Amino acid sequence: MEHIRTMLPPAVLVAMVLIVGLYDTTFFSLSNFETVISDTMSLFLMATGLTLVIMMGGIDLSVQAVASMASCILAVYLPELGFLAIPLAVLGGTIAGLLSGFVSIALRIPSFIATLAAGGLVTSAAYWFSDTRSVDIAEDLTGRYLNWAVGTTLGISNDIWVGAIFLIILGVLLGATPFGRYVRAIGAQERAVIASGINVNRVKIATFMLSGTMAAVAGVMMAARLGSGSPTLANEFLLPAIAAVIVGGTAITGGVGSIWRTLVGALIIQVVRIGMTFMGVSVFTQQIIFGFILVAAVAVTMDRKKILVIK
Amino acid sequence: MLPALEMKGISKSFPGVKALDSVSFSAATGEVVGLIGENGAGKSTLLKILNGVYKPDAGSIAIDGRNVEIRSARDAFNKGIAMVFQEQSVISSLTIAENIFLGREEEFLRFGLISKARMNEAAAQELEKVRLKIHPGTLAADLSFSDRQMVEIAKALSLDTRIKRDVTILLDEPTSVLEKKEVAMLFDIVRELKQRASIVFISHRLDEVLEICDRIYVMRDGRVVHESPAANADVHTLHQQMVGRQLQHEYYREEKQAQPSATIALKVDKLSKAGIFQDVSFDLHQGEVLGIAGVIGSGREALARCLAGYEKVDGGTLHMGGKAVRLATAHDAVGRGIGFVPSERKVEGLITPFTVAENMTLACLSKFTSGGIISGAKESAIAKDWIAKLGIKTPSTKTMVVSLSGGNQQKVVLAKWRIAGVKILILDHPTRGIDVGAKEDVYSLVREMTAQGLAVILLGDTLDEVIGLSSRILVMKDGVVNASFNAPAGGKPAQLEIIQHMM
Repeated sequence: MEHIRTMLPPAVLVAMVLIVGLYDTTFFSLSNFETVISDTMSLFLMATGLTLVIMMGGIDLSVQAVASMASCILAVYLPELGFLAIPLAVLGGTIAGLLSGFVSIALRIPSFIATLAAGGLVTSAAYWFSDTRSVDIAEDLTGRYLNWAVGTTLGISNDIWVGAIFLIILGVLLGATPFGRYVRAIGAQERAVIASGINVNRVKIATFMLSGTMAAVAGVMMAARLGSGSPTLANEFLLPAIAAVIVGGTAITGGVGSIWRTLVGALIIQVVRIGMTFMGVSVFTQQIIFGFILVAAVAVTMDRKKILVIK
Repeated sequence: MLPALEMKGISKSFPGVKALDSVSFSAATGEVVGLIGENGAGKSTLLKILNGVYKPDAGSIAIDGRNVEIRSARDAFNKGIAMVFQEQSVISSLTIAENIFLGREEEFLRFGLISKARMNEAAAQELEKVRLKIHPGTLAADLSFSDRQMVEIAKALSLDTRIKRDVTILLDEPTSVLEKKEVAMLFDIVRELKQRASIVFISHRLDEVLEICDRIYVMRDGRVVHESPAANADVHTLHQQMVGRQLQHEYYREEKQAQPSATIALKVDKLSKAGIFQDVSFDLHQGEVLGIAGVIGSGREALARCLAGYEKVDGGTLHMGGKAVRLATAHDAVGRGIGFVPSERKVEGLITPFTVAENMTLACLSKFTSGGIISGAKESAIAKDWIAKLGIKTPSTKTMVVSLSGGNQQKVVLAKWRIAGVKILILDHPTRGIDVGAKEDVYSLVREMTAQGLAVILLGDTLDEVIGLSSRILVMKDGVVNASFNAPAGGKPAQLEIIQHMM
């Protein structure tokens, strides 16, 4: 059963690619695959930090707001600060994560409420930074400061490289460090982790900070690709980001998951999205389908027999 | 006369433990049947089968001579079996009436809505049976602990008015939280009730069992070892039958009991927690097993949890190595070298979906990293080492602990603390729910640990265990240390000496 759960998402991905490819054979080309992967990276980056929060048994509903705020900070400060605007935008996300984590832990509030509230606050901050407008990034600034995100290296889009780097960093962090193991352990059985003398609150706050940081990285990436920052830039990304994590096979109840799975999940979401567009499914119908996919994925990944009460 | 309830050849196994082994049991109307046995003897499993929580692996259950299958608590209720739980099932956010009729609201519907007035009226009748003079509309949260227990009993008794034929009422340790006066009242109710019902009474208090019961079953290690009319029984023989062995000192590895060192590992001075325990003082020596005896409500559980940093104290001081320490969190306690083996093994002791190795290293993971990365090789080497040392039966270090038996799981918990290098180990019911062989292994491990200078605080599963393992015993009652006994090898105090300070 566990093997099925691990292998199902990659199998679904292959099946989706085949289905879309059979419908339109132009889909099968290296350059098209590269485009699909490159287009998936912002979603993947946003979902990486979220993966850790979900593995811990929590949720972060502020990632789209944080990404939007980061895009605003980047667009507004790039002309003045140059390169420094990038760490500043990412730092904004880290602080937003710290806020969510602090509220959730110090006030003992469930993370979905804490992050929902923090998301509201972050959105207001984004409006404040951008003066409630969409802020364009001049092309020469993109060329000078954001080539690492929009250019190509060794013939491969740079956003794929960025995605790969974070895949490795977060993969190692989650899979091979004490921090990663604590995150997984908290999701599986928090009281036993507390009982083992681990400072669980510190792990939790760090996880929320990481989620905010990665959402901000995703926001910077989106702003670089689109050439502008806006307080609503990433608004449509929350559901797909959660879906990417869950569809990849990370359990919504925590304890099981990996960054790899989230990459697979994000690719599935992207291929389905593209496939539906190819087949002429309207944008509104697409939302219905994403809703179905999310419910189906939760149903498959969650071992509901072990959970007595579902709220 | 046909027994109202009859179980024949009931068996039930859990991974690693045979909880019930071909148990036969009956109760007739007009009869109060006592069911006694140590923890882990199988009483709770038997009750859970009668209540539809577990399905038996083998055997049959008959009600009024007809074979039945009990599928759920509701099903049991409809078939005329009601249970009063040891752990209370009263929901504090509901009123007394709502609790009594939980799941049976349709009896009070009027135009599709629940008629509170009618429900309260019916509840008032049920409350009268238990002589509780409280308005049925009162929230359960506002009741005292013993009143809640009476509501629980009223809930079970409500079956009597709903069902036309004779009923069976199961009372699981109903008196453990009641005062003497309330116990006497409960017994009056039981005597009245047995005219129309068969009653199964489970208690640790043998004198109460002898007082109220007509017939007594003694269980041990999943079997009924004795059955006799109460008139022919006495506390002493019942106790012998429950324990069932003579060579106590061998069972508890008494010959290996270490002489405690003079060095104090932990000095506890006037420790208090408001309403729970007061002014508890003792010295814990290296190499000592300090047993704490006491009934539920004596405060010993809370004391143990405070020493492990799980709960906060309100007053008093703790010294380790001559320095004052605070143990506000488990993080503090573990940092000071105090480990806790909790009674809820699967909740606080282990992460069940984690592997054996991952569980063993959890409390000191940083020892097994290089450059911030966990070394799988180091981790599995130490795990293999401890699997061999403690004789843990597991296919590999990568096996999920959830698939191990209770005894092996407990050894994993012990290994975790040994690997973390703790100096003091607090054992809260360390042998709960594990079979006899594994218990003996745990006893051997305790002896080995103390021989190496560890200090152990023991809250035993049974008084017998506390006496057998400890070198010194504190007796707690109502939150204070009531007496203390030395228990050197070969000079153990008798149970009765200790019990009189507990009750």
